[in-house]
Amino acid sequence: MRLFHAARARLRLLFARRAAEARMDEEFRFHLDMEADRLARAEGLAPAEARRRAVVAFGLAERHRDAMRDGRGLAWLGGLSLDLKLGFRMLVKYPGLTIVGGLAMAFAICVGAVVFETVRLFLAPALPLPQGDRIVHLRNWDVEANRKEPRALHDLQVWRQAMRSVTDLGAWQDVTRNLVGRDGEARPLRIAAITASGFRVAATPPLLGRAVVPADERADAPPVVVLGHEVWRLRFAGDSGVVGRTIQLGDAYATVVGVMPSGFAFPVTHDAWMPLRPEAPDAAPRAGPAVTMFGRLAPGATLDDARAELAVLGRRAAREQPATHRHLQPQVMPYAQMFGGAKSAAETGLVVVLTQVFTLMLLVLVCGNVALLLFARAATRESEIVVRSALGASRRRIVLQLFAEALVLGGVAAAAGLGAAHLVLRHWGLGFVKANFADVPFWFDPRLSPATALYAGVLTVLGAAIAGGLPGRKVTRDIGTGLRSGTSGGGARFGGVWTAVIVAQVAVTVAFPGIVMVEAREQQRVRSYDVGFAADEYLAVRLDLEAPPSASPAAHRARFATLVETLRQRVAAEPGVVGVTFADRLPRTNYDDHAVALDEAAPAASSSASRFTKVALVDPSYFGVLGAPILAGRGFRAADAAGDARVVVVDQGFVDRVLQGRNPIGRRVRLGEGGVAPDGPGADSLPWLEIVGLVRDLGMIGAAETTRGIGLYRPAAPGDGFAPQMVIHTQGEPMALVPRVRALAAAVDPTLRVVEPQRLDGVADDLLWMMGMWLRTTLTMTGIALLLSLSGIYAVLTYTVARRTREIGVRVALGAPRRTVVAAIFRRPLTQVGLGIAGGAALIAVGAHVLARTYQFQHWPRGFSLGQVALLVGYAAGMLGVCLLACVVPTRRALRVQPMTAMRVE
Amino acid sequence: MPTRSPSDALRGSLDLLVLKTLSLQPMHGWGIAQRVQQISDGALEVNQGSLYPALQRLEQAGLVASEWGTTDHNRRARYYSLTAAGRRALGAEVESWRRFAAGLEAVLRTS
Repeated sequence: MRLFHAARARLRLLFARRAAEARMDEEFRFHLDMEADRLARAEGLAPAEARRRAVVAFGLAERHRDAMRDGRGLAWLGGLSLDLKLGFRMLVKYPGLTIVGGLAMAFAICVGAVVFETVRLFLAPALPLPQGDRIVHLRNWDVEANRKEPRALHDLQVWRQAMRSVTDLGAWQDVTRNLVGRDGEARPLRIAAITASGFRVAATPPLLGRAVVPADERADAPPVVVLGHEVWRLRFAGDSGVVGRTIQLGDAYATVVGVMPSGFAFPVTHDAWMPLRPEAPDAAPRAGPAVTMFGRLAPGATLDDARAELAVLGRRAAREQPATHRHLQPQVMPYAQMFGGAKSAAETGLVVVLTQVFTLMLLVLVCGNVALLLFARAATRESEIVVRSALGASRRRIVLQLFAEALVLGGVAAAAGLGAAHLVLRHWGLGFVKANFADVPFWFDPRLSPATALYAGVLTVLGAAIAGGLPGRKVTRDIGTGLRSGTSGGGARFGGVWTAVIVAQVAVTVAFPGIVMVEAREQQRVRSYDVGFAADEYLAVRLDLEAPPSASPAAHRARFATLVETLRQRVAAEPGVVGVTFADRLPRTNYDDHAVALDEAAPAASSSASRFTKVALVDPSYFGVLGAPILAGRGFRAADAAGDARVVVVDQGFVDRVLQGRNPIGRRVRLGEGGVAPDGPGADSLPWLEIVGLVRDLGMIGAAETTRGIGLYRPAAPGDGFAPQMVIHTQGEPMALVPRVRALAAAVDPTLRVVEPQRLDGVADDLLWMMGMWLRTTLTMTGIALLLSLSGIYAVLTYTVARRTREIGVRVALGAPRRTVVAAIFRRPLTQVGLGIAGGAALIAVGAHVLARTYQFQHWPRGFSLGQVALLVGYAAGMLGVCLLACVVPTRRALRVQPMTAMRVE
Repeated sequence: MPTRSPSDALRGSLDLLVLKTLSLQPMHGWGIAQRVQQISDGALEVNQGSLYPALQRLEQAGLVASEWGTTDHNRRARYYSLTAAGRRALGAEVESWRRFAAGLEAVLRTS
């Protein structure tokens, strides 16, 4: 309480300066009036005389005023603003320190801000919708199978009627339909079949027309669709007359009733919306289509209320419908946590703390270095500090001054760091998320938030406390000594900690290129991988067909196969198309691994033979269209795709790794399937497959994998036997053919979808992008570490030389050769850099050893090649040279010391 | 109590007198000055104005609080009152003053 009173009084006096002055004047006036009245009454004085006596008794008003102003702490405030001003002057006066220290602090703050923002994005995502924090996701969790139970139409109805804490309960279902434009081109559209309540929950009015309304949900209502802004802009040229028009969606038609505003993609990342019309609205429990449920917390209700209410409903359902609901546990959570996120605030806190520990360590390391620089600077200003101290400045005052200087530096660095963080988040943040997750929900928007800026501010103050406070304390600790011994000699010294920091940094700087080398080598490997054919001449698109709910799977597959065949003929007839073929996967993507068994009585003696192979299903024309010659035996024939021809073609990797070089032709193999091992119990149910041909390696290995590709091809009919990727060999730019393929597909059947068009050489682009990002990050970190080590060495040396001016002068005066003087100066930095390089080399050796034991890198050549060793040695020598370069300026300064000047210093 | 040097006895006794005065009832500056002068019977000859820096100091230390009020004659005045911390400090200060005075008394008696 006392602290509270005191703080309030101080703050009021400090900040309401004008009010405090007015209060003081009023109190003085009141006092004089009262006293004059008293004197006039008690002693019968004339008013003027009474006034005069009162003023005399009061004493000098101006002196009391000054005493009160001093007491208000304005003097302290004036001091701080002076310190800040001085800090800015220091920035300009020592540009080298400003650039190095500022850059390093900016880097630490940038990393801290990006990490914080990313963590925030994942753990505490916020919906950019009105009152988005009150939107919830509901689901049934099957505790027995440990997965969600999405067939929830029945429960949706029950909950809708029973729940009071959640309003506007609704659900949506993902639907993908081809939108056939006026140009005849069909593009798949991601549509949400959603209850009308979805638009009430999202609370976003449409840009044009109307949203989905409850009347649309009736089974006999005319089909309607609401378009997203992007679709409206790109496919309908932003035509405001689109409302009321009928458009073709797959093989059905729907009337456009509205257009949503830009950025609206509720429920996840949808392009358009249709009313949710389940075939049977009164679905039986745990039956019907898979839907996702949502709702909005009722006014005044909390998430805990909803949890409690839902728990009661869950228990009742388990009691009344044990057959279906015994193991179902209803759950409700903030909507944005549907795709993960922390379960509780405690978990969020824990992850934030864990990630911030890394940031703080980086900040401490970086600011420790900046502290070193500031310390060296403060040490050269020691006489100034000693004089100030002698003039009565308290130790706290001097430390505060150094803190203010660091704060100014940190402030500039924070501005730069936040700017960089903004760029990183805008340019790479979304790319990073997209490269790692298939669907990026609309609320995933990496950008600088006010919370992050605030966090950066805290980091800055903390950094300034380290960078300014530490040297301040160290410098002021020895002021007494400084006062006694004059302006030089004695005083602070660099301790073992600083030496250790510098050595560790040099070690890291040396070791980082090892990491860069590994990363660059991986990138180079992925980029230059020889896929065995001219991948840049091929276009790949995935084909898909909407399954009508009524059709049997077999009939659907047969129809798909017919459509695929028709499309193949039409595409093949296009000018510029050399050939068309199909496969279930594209080269360099992730194929399925299958166990393989050979028909030999005695299996391969060597245990190093692989027992696994990747398997691809291909159209018989596959090798022909890819231009891959058959090295032995024969390729596939059209008849092989029929299904009962049990023939396969293997690649060179299969021969080398599974057969260990033996002739494959005529040999029989079995593939493990559906959990049945090819050489275990039940293997007799698996067919024997005869190897009829051999091809070269054609990328039967994921781009990220480093092992040798091992591949086996089985013939199958596209559409019927597998979901096909259509591979088109073109003359000229493959991507130019995409619109034509879409149009042809729409003409064949409006429900035939053409998705993910890409050039075959672009399969690894996402991976390369990620690798590039990591490489850049590592390079930046290496650069910062290098810069910090150099500046640290420079600072220590400058400081040492400044300290030893007299000693050097005496040595030179006594005729010591320059070489001896230089050696004496260089001994320390040389030792540090030498130790650092040795430490770095050890780190690389350990790292390489560990790496070679991991699965990913097990096939890398052991140890380093001669060239790589030479490269690393060269780099180490370069490091040494650059470090010594940092010593040149201070050394020259030392050698210029004139004996007379040095003596006069005393 | 606010930190002060031991030699600053006058200032210290002024603080003590102000606290003592306010322990009876909340009062404005002039009233405090009158009261102090009455109690000390004019023995403490200080400028009345030096009361105000002392009051500000005590307020910053959280020992007294102040607010605007009106006097009997309907004039606006700043009224000071003792906080709980001020009451505790007064007790401690009175105690130490008594010890000091008793010690001094003992010394004077022996001589």
